[in-house]
Parts: sequence; structure tokens; C-alpha cells
Amino acid sequence: MNFNVLAKRHITLQNGKVVVMKRSTTPLIILIGLILIYFSVQITGFNMEAIIKRIDQFFVILKEMMQPNFSYTTKLWQPLFDTIKMSLLGSILGAIVAVPIAFCASSNIIKNRFIVISSKFFLSLLRTLPTLIVALMATFIFGLGTMAGFIAIFLFTIAYVGKLLYEQIENADMKAYEAMHSMGLTTVQSFRYAILPQVLPNYLSTTLFCFEGNVRYASILGYVGAGGIGLLLNENLGWRNYANVGMILVMLIVTVFIIETISEHFRKKLM
Amino acid sequence: MIEFKDVEMQYPNGFKGLKNINVQIAQGEYVAVIGLSGAGKSTFIRCINRMHDITKGELIVNQTNVHQLRGKEIRQLRRNIGMIFQSFNLVTRSTALKNVLVSFVPEMPLWRKLLGIFTQEEKRKALTALDQVGILDKAFVRVDQLSGGQQQRVALARTLAQTPGIILADEPVASLDPMTAKQVMGDFARINKEMNMTVIMNIHHVDLALAYATRVIGIRAGEIVYDGQASDVTEAVLSQIYNGQQPVEEV
Repeated sequence: MNFNVLAKRHITLQNGKVVVMKRSTTPLIILIGLILIYFSVQITGFNMEAIIKRIDQFFVILKEMMQPNFSYTTKLWQPLFDTIKMSLLGSILGAIVAVPIAFCASSNIIKNRFIVISSKFFLSLLRTLPTLIVALMATFIFGLGTMAGFIAIFLFTIAYVGKLLYEQIENADMKAYEAMHSMGLTTVQSFRYAILPQVLPNYLSTTLFCFEGNVRYASILGYVGAGGIGLLLNENLGWRNYANVGMILVMLIVTVFIIETISEHFRKKLM
Repeated sequence: MIEFKDVEMQYPNGFKGLKNINVQIAQGEYVAVIGLSGAGKSTFIRCINRMHDITKGELIVNQTNVHQLRGKEIRQLRRNIGMIFQSFNLVTRSTALKNVLVSFVPEMPLWRKLLGIFTQEEKRKALTALDQVGILDKAFVRVDQLSGGQQQRVALARTLAQTPGIILADEPVASLDPMTAKQVMGDFARINKEMNMTVIMNIHHVDLALAYATRVIGIRAGEIVYDGQASDVTEAVLSQIYNGQQPVEEV
């Protein structure tokens, strides 16, 4: 921040010494902030009037959600289990497939730079694709239903676990790996017996954490027709059946909480 | 039998690690390689099992020309050469036994390699190797719980389980205290005698080298400047090897 160079203040002390003081930049920053807010209000069409007029509607919906329709639960179990199933299967298979890709992306194991760079590029490409878009594309290919959701979660898990795993591998202690090479083991064998034991606890922990997040994502995937409980959420919101929406949210919150607690317990044990 | 014929080893950056090396080491010898840091001791040792590639000359280990080997043949060569490192190079998260069992991996069928399942016979052999270096009671202890001397013995047991003809040791006692260093040196001497394994060892502790090894090779600036019986090494020889510098007495 050097735009206040011109605005220096000189204070002369009684004995004639001159002290140069920099002016504070805070007022200028606040001014810029205010100008930016003004323009963003103009661009987004923010309307204070609408907020004040319509805010009570928000509480109406919230009030209806607060009285969840408990009789609706019987219809929820199946889609809820579908959601959990597709995130579990996607997470497990994704985490398994992530291992060979992470292996190829580790510059300390693979000496061929082309393989390393293309594997890393593949992983970052997968990470950049939003899960919702992948799920939408998967519905075009595999049809509506949990299969599409599974594919979306599977691909996201590969990208997420793969990225964290190759970083772990690149930071692993290479001494035992070197020793195993000197004993006549191949690269893959040395990796299996020297590097894998080091990264395994972290890998499992990452996979569990990813599974946790996937259950949450999976509940939204129904929006694009990828099956599970999101489908019902979308339907009931469309019908303005807020009591049912409330019930779905309660079920989701409880499920996610239970899964997170279990996963957290095991992740702590792994550390 | 290991034979160096006019061997030269040049690093990719142009630095010559070894120059004009001519030496023969017979099966069952106990050789200590001494010299300043950076003189080429490690390079010398690592050429023998192709951890480094030589750039000129011939290096023959048990009638095979090491430089001509490819892929699988290199691994075959390494199966017969054990290697011990200064920092032990063990998988610290695993138990001593598991570290030793890795020696058997190359000979296992694929499914057992993947799953890491070892037979009763392999476990018996690994435990025997641990017993030979006197740490059988530590077999089920995680390596990071062991002392430095015990860790180096696990590494030695891992090498023994390989039943190699040659053991290369790269500063095996440099990170051990003097007492433990003596014990480990004794282990090497015993293995050398009882099993007729060739031991080639880089070592900074000249007194230990002279006490345990039968032959001493002195390397200075990539060249062999002394090669003879350990008993013939005099102060004059040492100052020649260390370029006029007297070796510092170990505390």
C-alpha cells in the first residue's frame, strides 16, 4: 500500500526536529469499500423494500418446516438409504481407484515427468468439474437414478482423495524405499512395503472425511435427477409442502450427524 | 568375487565420483573403506549393486558385468547383495518382524505380495534372522520404539534374511554411540566369519575399522590411495589417505 506517499504529514517539534508521519489508509479503504458496495447493489438489483415486505414469508415457510410431517418418514427410508448407499459405494470405489492414480502422480516415485504431469493434470481437471454438473451429465448417459449420483460421487472422490494422497506420498520418508530398491524389489513392491504403511492411516482418514462430505453432497444430487433423497426434497419444495421438507431436513441432519460422529471417532483412532 | 577394472564414475553434473579404480575383493573378505567425506566412499559402494551407474571401465560381480544388466537382471543382482545404511532405512511404523519379512517379497506370488501375507516358513526364517543379531525379543515391537543400535540390528537382520553373498554397509555405525557401534561392528565380524559373507563397509571411525576389518581401502578424491592389510595401516598411511589431515580421535 503505497498510494499515500503524497499524503505525508510533517510535524515539527518544539526543538525544530521534523517527524514525517504517514497518514492512515483506513478512511480511503472504507471509502473504496462503500463505492464497491454501491455498485454491487446496482448490478445485482438488490431491493431493500422487497426484503422488508417479504421477510415475513421466510418465517412462514420456516414455521411450516418447524412442524415436520412425521407420518412422511415411512416414505423416506428407501431414498435415504439410496443416498447413503451411493455415497458409500462411490467413496469406497473412488478411494481405491485414487491409489494407482496418486501413485502415478507422485514425482518421487515415478521418474517419467510426462506421466506425473498428466496424472496431476487429470486429477485437477476432475476436481474442477462441479459434482452437480457431473451428476447432470451422468443422468444423460446412465439415465435418471442413483447410478448417476454414484458416478458423480465416484469421480469427485478420486479427485479429492487422489490429490491428498499424492501429496502424502511426495512427503513420505524415502529411506526405507531406497533400502527396498537395494534389496532387489521393484518400484511397485517398494511402494507397497515402504510408502504404503506410512500413508495408510492418513489415506483412510481422508477417505472417511470424504465419505462424510459425500453424504451431504449426495442429498443435493437428486436435484438434477441423480436419485436419492434430493429428488423428494426438490418435489416437496415444488409442491410447497414445507412440512415434508422439514421432515426430510430433520432426517438428513440426524443422518449426517450420526455419520460424522462415527467417522470422527475412527479418524481420531487412526491418527 | 568383485572386480573393478579401470572404473570411472561421473555424475550428471560432471563431477567425477570415481577415477581409475582397479581393485579385486575375494569372497569372504571384510573390507573397510576409509577417506574424507565426499571422497567417493559411498559412490564406490553403490556402484557394486548398481544404485549408481559407472561411466567407464568394467565392474564384475560374481562373473556378471554389472554395467550390462537391465531391469530384472539388476534386481536379481541386488537380491544377492545386502545393503546397510547410516540411518537404518526401516519402515518405522512397522514392527521389527514386518521389516525383516520384506526380504521375501520378490519371491512371493502376486496375491501374497499385494495383501502382504507371509507363510509360517517365511516368519520362521525372519525370526531366525532376528535371533542371529540378538534381538528376537523385539520382534513384535514397532521400530520407532527401538534404540538406534537395535534399529541397525533390525536392518542387519533384514539383510541376513535375504541370505546375500555380499553385504555393503554405508556408514553403518555413524549414528550410534561408541559402545553400540562396537557391538554392531562385532555382529558384522561374526556374520563375515560364520557365513563367509563379503562385507564392504564405509566407515569414519578409523580405530573401529582397524580393529574389526581385515583389509583397508583408502579413497581420496575418487581414487584409491591405499589398499592393504588393516594391520599394515600406519599413521603415515592415514595422513596420506586423509590428505595430510590426522583423523580426529572419536570420543
